[in-house]
Amino acid sequence: TVRPKNEVEQKQLCAFGEYVAEILPKYIQQVQVTCFNELELLIHPDGIIPVLTFLRDHTNAQFKSLADLTAVDVPSRQYRFEIVYNLLSLRFSCRIRVKTYTDELTPVDSAVSVHKAANWYEREVWDMYGVFFANHPDLRRILTDYGFEGHPFRKDFPLSGYVEV
Amino acid sequence: MFMLFMQTTGLVGLAVAENPHERLRILYTKILGVLQNIPKEAAYRKYTEQIVNQRFNLVRTETDVQKLQDKLNSGHIEEVIVQAENELSLARKMIQWKPWEPLVEEPPSDQWRWPI
Repeated sequence: TVRPKNEVEQKQLCAFGEYVAEILPKYIQQVQVTCFNELELLIHPDGIIPVLTFLRDHTNAQFKSLADLTAVDVPSRQYRFEIVYNLLSLRFSCRIRVKTYTDELTPVDSAVSVHKAANWYEREVWDMYGVFFANHPDLRRILTDYGFEGHPFRKDFPLSGYVEV
Repeated sequence: MFMLFMQTTGLVGLAVAENPHERLRILYTKILGVLQNIPKEAAYRKYTEQIVNQRFNLVRTETDVQKLQDKLNSGHIEEVIVQAENELSLARKMIQWKPWEPLVEEPPSDQWRWPI
């Protein structure tokens, strides 16, 4: 069986992606729609707060819900970490993905001022990858042990760690 | 047993708005005023003015609250008021951020390539 293609939804997502790219050309580097009808906005890291506030507050794009905040580690790139925000609009039943990039030492603006839900997600990204979030109210470890050194989800961290238990 | 003449929106934390037409009129005028500070060619100004004028006309012509809600097709009138307040705060922030300027910085060429 093959997944049925939903051309109408694809066209609507493409149109909305072009709409957002036309309004925010300063920060949006690329817009893509995957074959599974998922809209992705690729952002410059300076534009996290403007883009997230726009998506939350604008009438045509009421993405009030932050569903997920994660990071992806691709060590071969210059900016190895890719921060991913998944937003959901309850008014229009639509999802959107916003992606930014950073390296190990550059801090990224915290999304807590836009979405309160980002608090623990950003603590997890800090703990697991080592991405520092500026203006975060309380950035400390959340999943690793108290004296743990290292950032486990990085690709150069070994599977069974450095310390024998 | 007499029933108290009280309405609810049915939503937690949203009180019933008395005189929503007046409130919406004030908010939409404020938004249009703030949008004047944005350059005319900016796409944000164009589209937001379109939306706001559309809703403003509906608010002006339709005096019945229920029919206005149906025409706007955007949930309760209190939610429309909240949305207008959000749009106003967004317009004020947009003036500082100026997102209509050209791209800040191009990404490195391999940044968004997938598969790597």
